[in-house]
Amino acid sequence: MTGKKDLHIESSGQLCIYCGACVGICPLNCIYLDETRITFDERICTRCEICVKACPVGAIEIG
Amino acid sequence: MVKDLKTDVLVIGAGPAGSMTAKWAAKNGAKVLLLEKRQEIGSPVRCGEGMSKDWLTEVGIAPSMRWINVEVEGARIYSPSEKVLEINEKHAGNEVGYVVERDSFDKQLAIDAANAGAEVLLKTAATGILKENGKVVGVKAKAFGEPFEIRAPVTIGADGFESQVGRWAGLPTNLMLRDMDTCLQYRMTNVDCDVRYCDFYLGKVAPGGYVWIFPKADGLANVGIGVQVSQVQNPADARTYLDKWIAAHPAYAKGKTIDVVGGGVSISPPLKQTVTDGFMIVGDAARMIDPLTGGGIANGCIAGKICGEVAAKAVTANDVSKAFLMAYDQGWRARFEEKLYRNWLAKEKLVTLSDATFDKVIDALQGVKLEKLSVHNILKAVHDKYPEVTKEFEAFL
Repeated sequence: MTGKKDLHIESSGQLCIYCGACVGICPLNCIYLDETRITFDERICTRCEICVKACPVGAIEIG
Repeated sequence: MVKDLKTDVLVIGAGPAGSMTAKWAAKNGAKVLLLEKRQEIGSPVRCGEGMSKDWLTEVGIAPSMRWINVEVEGARIYSPSEKVLEINEKHAGNEVGYVVERDSFDKQLAIDAANAGAEVLLKTAATGILKENGKVVGVKAKAFGEPFEIRAPVTIGADGFESQVGRWAGLPTNLMLRDMDTCLQYRMTNVDCDVRYCDFYLGKVAPGGYVWIFPKADGLANVGIGVQVSQVQNPADARTYLDKWIAAHPAYAKGKTIDVVGGGVSISPPLKQTVTDGFMIVGDAARMIDPLTGGGIANGCIAGKICGEVAAKAVTANDVSKAFLMAYDQGWRARFEEKLYRNWLAKEKLVTLSDATFDKVIDALQGVKLEKLSVHNILKAVHDKYPEVTKEFEAFL
């Protein structure tokens, strides 16, 4: 990766409830929800952190 | 390999708006495919499950005990100091109604669509859009993980709050932080709630949103919160605020959570554009949620009926141009766009109010006999008691 922060989504089921809130707010349409799996497209994501705010349970970390 | 498919009308998403669209397109003679990415329609539930009821006949939905849990008499709105404004059915008109079982409701609408002639494909997700000469001609899809293509003169995005299909088609459905509430709800048992009312708590307990209690039979209730994303300070604020509210209310603190539901709700003004060549968008995906109440089922179903009818007509006329499909855009706007705008303006004001002002507003309405609950009537009542509060609202008066 070129200087981008790591992106980590806690999607093991301990925090993520697969509600899709992050998917709907992502301005670049780079988050995907597939049943009980959320994935980010690392190539598109700019680490704007909007999804971090939109997540009702705090399951997304960008560090 | 799954075989590529062709149909007249392709609907992505079997929520209420998608199923209604599929049903009305099929009823009007079109060959319809309804895609659902999940293995089970309506589950898991992502909804507070409160619903108004006076629109059901208009779109051909028969109320059924299969999906109605309780029928409420009214709503109670609590100010930050918990002064209560009671709104009964007479005043609120269509704003009160049922607390439903959304999974059963969604299944029933899908059954209605299937019975009208639509084909339903489960475990089938749209993964991309097909375009030819700039026009939408179908989608790339995966069924049980296997890729294939579906071609249709009319494709409809009914893929909910997290809609991707609309963006693929080129419609600007993006939301700003201020245009979304992040929501969390617990279904609780062993709570003391009044099944006659849906309760709403306003103010700093839920910045830019509210706490809701939607009662269900047998001591169950949906206890949830929406917080405007632009007012979120820390990750998981929705959960933090909800837990704090519950801890401060003994009738709910003693309850036990048996279900957690999350999701996003748009609180934006309506989209400027909902059709393009060969494509329409409907329901939460089209940001048709009422920005004041957060309710999306009624508007999604009403627009779905119009969308399905226009889709079938377009197929019959062999004209799926944007100009032809504009009949849908104009149809839903004529039916409820003005109310969406009005409620959006009211919401824009409400999210700026201090707790002290909320208290004054609710206090001013105590004992006032409102013939009909409208923003105008409320402001007039507040103006009579606290003229200083309504200064900022003069545009509404």
